[in-house]
Amino acid sequence: MSKFYEGMAEIFEIDLSEVKPELDLQTAVWDSLAIVSTIALVDDCFNIMLDGKSLGSCVTLADVEKLIEAGKKG
Amino acid sequence: MTDLTPSAKRKQARLIDLAAYLPEKILSNDELASLYPEWPAEKIYSKTGIKIRHIAAEHETAADLAYEAAMALFARGVVKPDDVDFIILCTQAPDYILPTTACVLQNRLGIPRHTGALDINLGCSGFVYGLSLAKGLIETGAARCVLLLTADTYSKYIHPLDKSVRTLFGDAAAATAIVAEDSDFESIGPFVFGTDGSGAKNLIVEAGSFRRPVDSESSVEQIDESGNVRTAENLYMNGAEVMTFSLKEVPKAVDVLLEKTGYTREDIDFFVLHQANKFMLEALRKKLKVSDLKLPICVENCGNTVSSTIPLALIQMRERGQFIPGVKMMLVGFGVGYSWAACLLKF
Repeated sequence: MSKFYEGMAEIFEIDLSEVKPELDLQTAVWDSLAIVSTIALVDDCFNIMLDGKSLGSCVTLADVEKLIEAGKKG
Repeated sequence: MTDLTPSAKRKQARLIDLAAYLPEKILSNDELASLYPEWPAEKIYSKTGIKIRHIAAEHETAADLAYEAAMALFARGVVKPDDVDFIILCTQAPDYILPTTACVLQNRLGIPRHTGALDINLGCSGFVYGLSLAKGLIETGAARCVLLLTADTYSKYIHPLDKSVRTLFGDAAAATAIVAEDSDFESIGPFVFGTDGSGAKNLIVEAGSFRRPVDSESSVEQIDESGNVRTAENLYMNGAEVMTFSLKEVPKAVDVLLEKTGYTREDIDFFVLHQANKFMLEALRKKLKVSDLKLPICVENCGNTVSSTIPLALIQMRERGQFIPGVKMMLVGFGVGYSWAACLLKF
């Protein structure tokens, strides 16, 4: 997960130590640019393409990680 | 009678010159940041790679930009108006519903009346499609000198308070000359094409034509979940869907074209992709596994100029001395439609 967490820290422009499953995405600014950047990051890290609508309804980083896990299985 | 002697060479299409025009008015990141406080100027630059965009004046149309680009091309002296025998104008902002804007430009540019002229309505894939049409016209003997004009003014479709697109798009035009040459060397091509109309809704100006004419409802402003304001008459882009489409289709198109040509990624000197913005190009670069030296990013001083991004990138590369004999480039245009196309360009 480290490359993914580093990428998320870059997207949200926050310290890596703040990137954890309970991170509140809205507080970190979960806007269209962040969602688009996350799609590219997840594709790069896991070769999984998430859809923007599902990402948009995520509340915490754990929700994004659940989508990634579902993508790995699916 | 067909000449079948061994020395007979085929007519091959060759790109011999390019020029561009950017309108005078500039939209800076500072100006955008004053409208959207949550996106400071530095953030806009670091994410998009764009410092400024050029914006057409109120009464300046895409045809006006195309006219200036063509005049800049003729001023370079490689091609004269009299040489041109076919005009292709790629735009999504024509002067009129009818007549064809390319016909109007034939007269304005003083190009002879024996010239063919047509418009093609494509966005970010348009330059590569235009090259394929020019090659077809030339290599079937139908034309000897094609003037390919790409011009758009998306700024006129964009709501001032829609940061999702206003930060990215700029207005511009480019003029490219493609001529017939007796040669055995294929300079342009082969091509691969792709279309997926199921993505039409993700990059669209919905109202203003016949499917949805302008009415009192089409001009009602709506605010989306990211705080962007737009009406149905404005440009709408679902950035997430467009990113997903691009990450899926562009690498596939690259692979199909490599297979068609027998080249490997290493054989290609430059991958000149549609210059959407820095984060999309960097995501594609990682996915294509090519070095940043091989994938130019030329958006800093113009933004995403739709069908003119590839010729604008080519002009910057020419200025850097990268048009050298033997150089192999892969051009890939992709976007609104969805529509995409890729081709090889060799010098």
